[in-house]
Amino acid sequence: MIPQTPAESSLAVKALAPSMERIELPALFARSWPAQTPFTPKRQRALVDLSQRILRDVILRNDPASVVLGYWLRRANIGRLAREFCDRVDRSPEVVHVPTGRVFHVAPANVDTVFLYSWAVAYLCGNANIVRVTGQQSPVLARLLALVAEQMETDDELRAANVFLTYAHDDKISGDISKWCTHRVLWGGDETVSYFRSLPLSPHASERAFSSKYSYAVVSASSYRTASDETVASLAQGFFNDVFTFNQMGCSSPHLVIWIGSEPDFEAVVPRFNATLREEIARRNYRGAASNATHRLRHAFDLACEAEVDFNPSEREFLAITLREPARLRKRICGAGLFTHVRANGLAEVVALVEPHDQTITHFGFSSEELCEFARLAGNGGIDRLVPFGEALSFDVIWDGYDLIGDCLRHVLVRSTHPGAQKHSMRSQPGAHSTIPCGDSRATFVATIE
Amino acid sequence: MTVELNALEQLRETPPFSLPQAEKRRILTSRVRELTQHHYERCKTYRNLIHRVFGGKKALEFTNLEDAPFLPVSLFKTQELRSTEADKVVKVVTSSGTTGQAVSRIYLDAETAQLQSQAMVKITQHFVGVQRRPLIVVDHSSAVRNRGSYSARGAAIMAMLLFGRRPFYCLREDFSLDLEGLAEYLHQNSDLAPIFFGVTYVVWKYFLEPLARAGQRLTVPKDSMLLHTGGWKKLQNQSVSPKEFRQTAEEVADIHRVASFYGMAEQVGSVFFENDLHFLQASNYSDVIIRDANTLEPLPHGQEGLVQVVSSLPVSYPGHSLLTEDLGVLRGEGQSGMQGQYFELVGRLPEAELRGCSDTFQERARQ
Repeated sequence: MIPQTPAESSLAVKALAPSMERIELPALFARSWPAQTPFTPKRQRALVDLSQRILRDVILRNDPASVVLGYWLRRANIGRLAREFCDRVDRSPEVVHVPTGRVFHVAPANVDTVFLYSWAVAYLCGNANIVRVTGQQSPVLARLLALVAEQMETDDELRAANVFLTYAHDDKISGDISKWCTHRVLWGGDETVSYFRSLPLSPHASERAFSSKYSYAVVSASSYRTASDETVASLAQGFFNDVFTFNQMGCSSPHLVIWIGSEPDFEAVVPRFNATLREEIARRNYRGAASNATHRLRHAFDLACEAEVDFNPSEREFLAITLREPARLRKRICGAGLFTHVRANGLAEVVALVEPHDQTITHFGFSSEELCEFARLAGNGGIDRLVPFGEALSFDVIWDGYDLIGDCLRHVLVRSTHPGAQKHSMRSQPGAHSTIPCGDSRATFVATIE
Repeated sequence: MTVELNALEQLRETPPFSLPQAEKRRILTSRVRELTQHHYERCKTYRNLIHRVFGGKKALEFTNLEDAPFLPVSLFKTQELRSTEADKVVKVVTSSGTTGQAVSRIYLDAETAQLQSQAMVKITQHFVGVQRRPLIVVDHSSAVRNRGSYSARGAAIMAMLLFGRRPFYCLREDFSLDLEGLAEYLHQNSDLAPIFFGVTYVVWKYFLEPLARAGQRLTVPKDSMLLHTGGWKKLQNQSVSPKEFRQTAEEVADIHRVASFYGMAEQVGSVFFENDLHFLQASNYSDVIIRDANTLEPLPHGQEGLVQVVSSLPVSYPGHSLLTEDLGVLRGEGQSGMQGQYFELVGRLPEAELRGCSDTFQERARQ
């Protein structure tokens, strides 16, 4: 963190990768900030290299979230994104895809890996990036940044096109970087989003904001009741990951388990669900922070004053509240392993509960037709993702209902002015400036990174 | 008045540190059972909690104090918990803890207010004597100026004014130490040894530490006493050990009798005073249970856990059994020259690190 002493009153930030104690804003903006065509092999390779660094790192390979990030950045997944980009190019023959240019990412402070996903997408798309991370870095975040800095030493383009930095919140610095960028990505709560929205962008710039979200699980009670012990154990594993990875503070971590089914089914499945989670916690020998239990109790007692619930106050590492008055349901976030079981008669009742801040539903026991129908019915009311148990936190380039790759590109329309003339498509070729169509180059560039 | 006072009378009629632990525990358990029944009948929210959290009416029939229902002390910040009619409330004690901006609201009727102040008097007199001694408040006078809304610090000072005479505030508005004023006050009140009183971190930061830094040494009457309360919540990173605190008081302020006490707005009166072993001594009026912070299982002597405080006094609000977020260790009983068990306060649970996707701005607010 930069102490705000008079001696340092000129605007400066601390660059963490490339590592520099202090860089003045004019010098920061004067860097070359090279942009590239989207999905160059070099940039793909940079991410694959970073993946290997993360997965080999002694500290990070013991951090589940970092391992997931490492896998996300590995060759197979980056190759998939590149192929999807080619499909995009093929689908729009009248569009040339170019990078949006300069992207300013504001990362959340406690979900350590988010900044790298956000950055990786923008970098792949050919952009230059400034990434603001929190001043209070966890060991994991510090290690991730150190690996990026290390890689920058041997990758000139990586070093020139990106600065990961931090500064004590400062309207002027945030304002100046906001004017610098062509696209701003805000990860944070509603307050962060509102705050940054008071800082104007260039009139030509765009913005994507990821604000406070609420997520829950929806389960077919009859399917769960008849599921094998093996199935419910694997659901408990998935639920554990969804809930405990960021101490239940990831925006897609579930806070409710909504059971669709009859009352007898509900009464039967809730104890089974809690028991399997208890076993999963024991199996992993999981111990959360010392203050988690009192944090959960505060929330649970408060709820018990207001609604017909029951729970076991001495449950270890989690607190499962059974709410018997669904009308009293309040979408409050506690975190630290507290969730509420509630029953509904059908998915239509869940649709009625959906609110604009609702993001992820983790589901079990429904057909894809039922889920698609649910998404259509919820419509613009809310809900951005429906994913199986265990995948709540899996990052994808479709996030919060938006196409992040599309966000990081400018879609230049090129249409022939000669009526009747044969259309010829202007295509962006990943990794190549030649004129061979993308379909043909696909093999070329996939080969390049392998 | 529906509560049978027999058990309470047994606790009150003898000197405050006279009942052996087992006997006190037996009588206190009986009193707490009465109070649990009383609040169950009088406070709808409490009744709901008994049913929703503690398994219903059978929870009223405990025989061990450890099995008595308890409330998290934070609940008084979010819920109106009252076991008396609104028009019987004579005073609402408010206090903000360190957890957020919410304020506890404690509703006292005449009976509870009286029980609490009588207990406070009896316990405190045990340590400072019955005679009202000159009182030097280690704070500035504006801490209590606005009586409508004083802080927990102001409330502690107000309570202590009962035990001293001619209170003198030895800090100036800017927290600097008024040494000349203090010398003159000591000169004019030399008949009896004074009591110095203040909140732990204020006493340390604005009284003992500045004296030590300046290499100064006060001269005070021989039996002067320093009482402090409140702990280190405000200055966690500057926290000094109780031993260092006492030694410094001896070296720079010439005060050889130093004692802290532990209490809270939610259980005024039944405070825990530091005994000769420097542990916090339970009186007849109250007791302490240490619980595992995770499973809430009661812990034996020597193991660190959450402090649950149990008091015989709260009638107008269900605050007779409260789970705090302080950490403590039971240290024993009967070896302190007083009856009843004692514990050591070892700190406070750190606030849960619950910042998720929604925290970049809160971080801003903290800076």
